[in-house]
Amino acid sequence: MSMRTTLAVLALVGLPFAGCGGPKEETPPPGPAATSAAGPAGGAPAGATTGSASISGKISFEGTAPAPEKIKTSADPKCQAMHPQGLERQTIDAGGGGLKDVFVYVKSGLSGTYPAPTEPVLLDQKGCMYQPHIITVQAGQPLKIRNSDDTLHNIHPRPTANPEFNIGQPRQGMESTKTFDKQEIMIPVGCDVHPWMRSYIAVVGHPFFSVSKDDGTYEIKGLPAGDYEIEAWHEKLKTQTQKVTVKDGEKAKADFSYKS
Amino acid sequence: MAGRPGDDRAGSTLRGVPAFDRSRHLFGAVTAATTLVLIFVGGLVTSTGSGLSVPDWPLSYGMLMPPMVGGVFYEHSHRIVASLVGALTLALALWTARAEPRPGVRRLAWAALAAVVAQGVLGGLTVIFLLPTAVSVAHACLAQTFFCLVIALAYATSREWRDARAPDVDQTGLRGAALTATLIVYGQLLVGAVMRHIGAGLAIPDFPLASGRVLPPVATTPVLVHFAHRIGALLVLLAVACFLARARRAGDPRFTRLGAALLGLVGFQIALGAATVLTGKAVTPTTLHVATGAAILGGCWLSTLRAFRLRRPAPAALAVPVARPVTQS
Repeated sequence: MSMRTTLAVLALVGLPFAGCGGPKEETPPPGPAATSAAGPAGGAPAGATTGSASISGKISFEGTAPAPEKIKTSADPKCQAMHPQGLERQTIDAGGGGLKDVFVYVKSGLSGTYPAPTEPVLLDQKGCMYQPHIITVQAGQPLKIRNSDDTLHNIHPRPTANPEFNIGQPRQGMESTKTFDKQEIMIPVGCDVHPWMRSYIAVVGHPFFSVSKDDGTYEIKGLPAGDYEIEAWHEKLKTQTQKVTVKDGEKAKADFSYKS
Repeated sequence: MAGRPGDDRAGSTLRGVPAFDRSRHLFGAVTAATTLVLIFVGGLVTSTGSGLSVPDWPLSYGMLMPPMVGGVFYEHSHRIVASLVGALTLALALWTARAEPRPGVRRLAWAALAAVVAQGVLGGLTVIFLLPTAVSVAHACLAQTFFCLVIALAYATSREWRDARAPDVDQTGLRGAALTATLIVYGQLLVGAVMRHIGAGLAIPDFPLASGRVLPPVATTPVLVHFAHRIGALLVLLAVACFLARARRAGDPRFTRLGAALLGLVGFQIALGAATVLTGKAVTPTTLHVATGAAILGGCWLSTLRAFRLRRPAPAALAVPVARPVTQS
């Protein structure tokens, strides 16, 4: 008898207890919410120190990316049904001509204050995956977490500077809103029910950040003139920094190159 | 009350020794066996990283029976088996309170009930406070303590306990050897629980050497805890071998059989420990390692109970404080 079969027999003992009670909805069914793949996050609020400069560039990758990791989803038949061809995870995604999902932000050089936008950023659980993979939010900005799947998920970020939490969303359409008050790059977030689900939350103290697109390009808009240190972060390839100087109305370039 | 074969409840107690209650003894033994299953399932929860796959407690996602998918399968199975053990312990405690003439055994039953309740609360706290190491280690250790309490309850109601009215003399130090082995195994399980819950299971990635050396080249906390667990394994091996040697010298098959089985289990356990490291903490060897550790503790504890019940202290040991000559200078 396999281990799962043995446990299933033991689980049957609990069946008489089943069927009483149900999960509580944390919030009403979902409405439209903002995502934030590129900053400024929801737009800098009035009074914030912004400008007309921008920094853009491309993240390139040299070498051979590892083969995608095949993920077994059989632990949850509903997840398996959503991916009949199987699921793959590619942590170094350079198939679009550049490196995707690199978080780029102004690490230092800013002096203004940037109140958090009130518009929430959405972290969606869809197809037993997180969307987007890199979630960017300004410190104090609401993070709306939604379960779009017809199966249960738990959401468990593991921050070091912010409080850790672990919440469950057993029903499709459930939403919860959380806030991280301190800058922290990055906060890994995972689902303990489906261990392959893993994502990262970047909490930044200002709105000047971006995430590289499929082709590896990114753009940080609305910067005031100044001398900045720009950092690029990738979950596998880690960080790189550059010094960039921009003037009002100017578009500066800052490309990053990673190697395998 | 009419007694069944093997059930001496109809008979009177003799010199404070109760009649044999076969049903209650079997119920205690079943509770102990189910506790070992519970420890195995609890080990599965940690081995599969499912400890937080159900984020709430005492309900699971607000339900009594959530969908058994992914990590929920392991965590909720653990809760179900734990509930079963809790119910068995409650029944055993009530049964003992009603039928048991010995106050000490009744207290033992209530202590087991208190332990299983505390264990449930600790399990809940590990979930609510996101697996703090101290609480998780306490949960692991209380599980072993509770297992020992239930074994004691089952043994105290056994026929062997009742019939042991003229204990043999402990001339070979069986009592001390069994007790020492039990304490060393318990200490080893404590170190193992710390290692497991601080994530130091692979802090030394090779076996039998430590990063290619006899002594580990670095001395970080995870490495030290892991290395202490390996040293502890050698101490357990030594203690159990010592117990078996004394049992053989005593020539008592009740102890030699148990000692040989324990020594075999310790060998198996060391192999499982090696497999745990060499497979990068694969679920099956890692979980079996936890359960086998509990079985070794249970065996050593049972040996201790038997030794204290079946062997009285050697006359020499008794005589020392009494017969020592008093000299005056």
